[in-house]
Amino acid sequence: MAFSTTLYNTFFQRNSVFFSTVFAGAFVFGIGFDTGVTAFYDRWNRGKQWKDIRHKYSETAAEEAE
Amino acid sequence: MLSRQLGAGALRRGASLPAFRQKNALNLSRGLAVRNASTASSSAFESFLNSRLTLVSVSLFTAGSVAWYTHLYGSLPFLAQVHASHASDEGLHPPEYPWDHKGILNTFDHASIRRGYQVYREVCAACHSLDRIAWRNLVGVSHTVDEVKAMAEEVEYQDGPDDEGEMFMRPGKLADYMPNPYANESAARAGNAGSLPPDLSLIIKARHGGADYVYSIITGYVDPPPAGVEIREGMSYNPFFPGGALGMARVLYDGLVDFEDGTPATASQMAKDVVTFLSWAAEPEHDERKKNGIKAVILFSALTLISLYVKRFKWTPLKNRKLIYDPPVDKKH
Amino acid sequence: MAFNGLKKAVTLTPSVRTMPSGVPAAPLLNLAARAPADPHAHGHGASGPRSDVVPRWSGGISRSSSSLVSKSYTTLPSTTPFTARFMHTSVAVKGAPEVPDFSHYRADDTDSNRALSYFMVGSFGLVTASVAKSTVTEFLKTMSASADVLALAKVEVELATIPEGKNVVIKWRGKPVFIRHRTQAEIDEARGTKWQSLRDPESDEDRVKRPEWLIMLGVCTHLGCVPIGEAGDYGGWFCPCHGSHYDISGRTRKGPAPLNLEIPAYDFNDAEGKVIIG
Repeated sequence: MAFSTTLYNTFFQRNSVFFSTVFAGAFVFGIGFDTGVTAFYDRWNRGKQWKDIRHKYSETAAEEAE
Repeated sequence: MLSRQLGAGALRRGASLPAFRQKNALNLSRGLAVRNASTASSSAFESFLNSRLTLVSVSLFTAGSVAWYTHLYGSLPFLAQVHASHASDEGLHPPEYPWDHKGILNTFDHASIRRGYQVYREVCAACHSLDRIAWRNLVGVSHTVDEVKAMAEEVEYQDGPDDEGEMFMRPGKLADYMPNPYANESAARAGNAGSLPPDLSLIIKARHGGADYVYSIITGYVDPPPAGVEIREGMSYNPFFPGGALGMARVLYDGLVDFEDGTPATASQMAKDVVTFLSWAAEPEHDERKKNGIKAVILFSALTLISLYVKRFKWTPLKNRKLIYDPPVDKKH
Repeated sequence: MAFNGLKKAVTLTPSVRTMPSGVPAAPLLNLAARAPADPHAHGHGASGPRSDVVPRWSGGISRSSSSLVSKSYTTLPSTTPFTARFMHTSVAVKGAPEVPDFSHYRADDTDSNRALSYFMVGSFGLVTASVAKSTVTEFLKTMSASADVLALAKVEVELATIPEGKNVVIKWRGKPVFIRHRTQAEIDEARGTKWQSLRDPESDEDRVKRPEWLIMLGVCTHLGCVPIGEAGDYGGWFCPCHGSHYDISGRTRKGPAPLNLEIPAYDFNDAEGKVIIG
């Protein structure tokens, strides 16, 4: 059975399953997208943000980092 | 059309008055006779436009109105404004500097904000307030909670009333706003020879040119002023300041501040740091805003593309449908 | 008569009726209309007036809103000379309609097409739901307290400055807060009371996080006065306004107050020896 058929039969055939998948997917996507964009943003601005330089000034944070 | 014909004829033959009268009468009668199909007037209109007399009279009219206006008002409109303005009145246009936070993806350089706060506290805060920034705003941006608490406690704030109805002084808390160097505007003016040091909370947003302008002002003092520029006593010449004469004197000199992270405290370094700090003060939401911007652009572009696809998908059968009429076949033929 | 005329003018008569013979009559519907013959039309496109509408010039029946006004069965003489059509010029009727060949455009596998379409619709819904969720949450966030209010909402009190057996009143969100460093005798008294029979039954264990520190809002639950400390019949607080008595655990014991003194949210910070209220 082709992948597309499997996909259809698994998710799209029943409307209830389709909708549940969409909303569950939206939840997962929201978290994943946030994480992804944040990761990119932090990578792009490496060394500039407060979380990158905090360990220099905060003793407790420095201990946590070690 | 008739009048145009008349006018053209009149201008062309204006030299001889009797002939003009005759021709006029002729023209009139011919014009009336030939009205059925109007074809001739355009050439007459063109010759009117091209005629030398028209040129001369229009030039005379123009020169006359200019002379009349000048006589009435002394000068021509707009010219006066051009004369009154000079490049120095607008101030030099600041060059563009490569700020760390320039560009749609870049955050502030928070180490620079921290140094900039030090410069503000040790230099600028002597005259300039920072009304809209509270101590708590520094937490998680340039300082830790403990550092900010310690800094806030060094400042005394008036609070109250207490149980006896008296106001009392207490050490600062995180929720307090940055202390103002002067009690009020009059005190500020009195302390600065009549000039009011502006509040710096939104200065980067409030000045044309933003960070570039403020940086140029701080580093752009020319002392002594160039020849031909007269600056009043107590003022300083700064070509970037509109008008050139600035109430604030140059304050940043190399080595004025000792940065705790070992950055050499050159005047330009301090200016860059304090401008970064002020940019942050004007836009504390800056980093988060750009991050949200990235998200929004990605999400809404994706939504646009998918909605275009879905629209085409839904409309394809409607637009490509061909209805064919299949007539019933008549059995008799 | 006038009424009938009015009625006729207002009410439209039905266009279809049944004749007494039972045969339906629909004088306005012309089912046999044909398009005028157009020798230049090759069987496609709009070649004339609609074939299902009787052209105005052909006469027939016209009516006004009130009633049937004219019938004319005149056949107008043709303005062009009539010629018999000897040659057949119209397009021959084909056995099957000619449909372009779309097979080139058709997908080999309709299953993958279907899956793709559903997938796109599904991801559209997914992204929309995600965006809508963020929009709504961000909007709701604007309704919560702003940062400057939250910054003022917490008060830190150093506990070391309060000696045993003393009351301290501090201001928190515009209201007084009582902090009582209770002695062991007071704790025993508060715990020994039969609280089940009180007006607002509450045990002392429920009212304090640590027995030596009693922290509560100094607002009388009767009408909002501020009670006086170390007063009243029960060694606790006494409200001077209407004479409510609270015991050393802040429970109402006598007087009009219906409830015990309220306990705010607070936390101890042992590292710095502080209590954070809020």
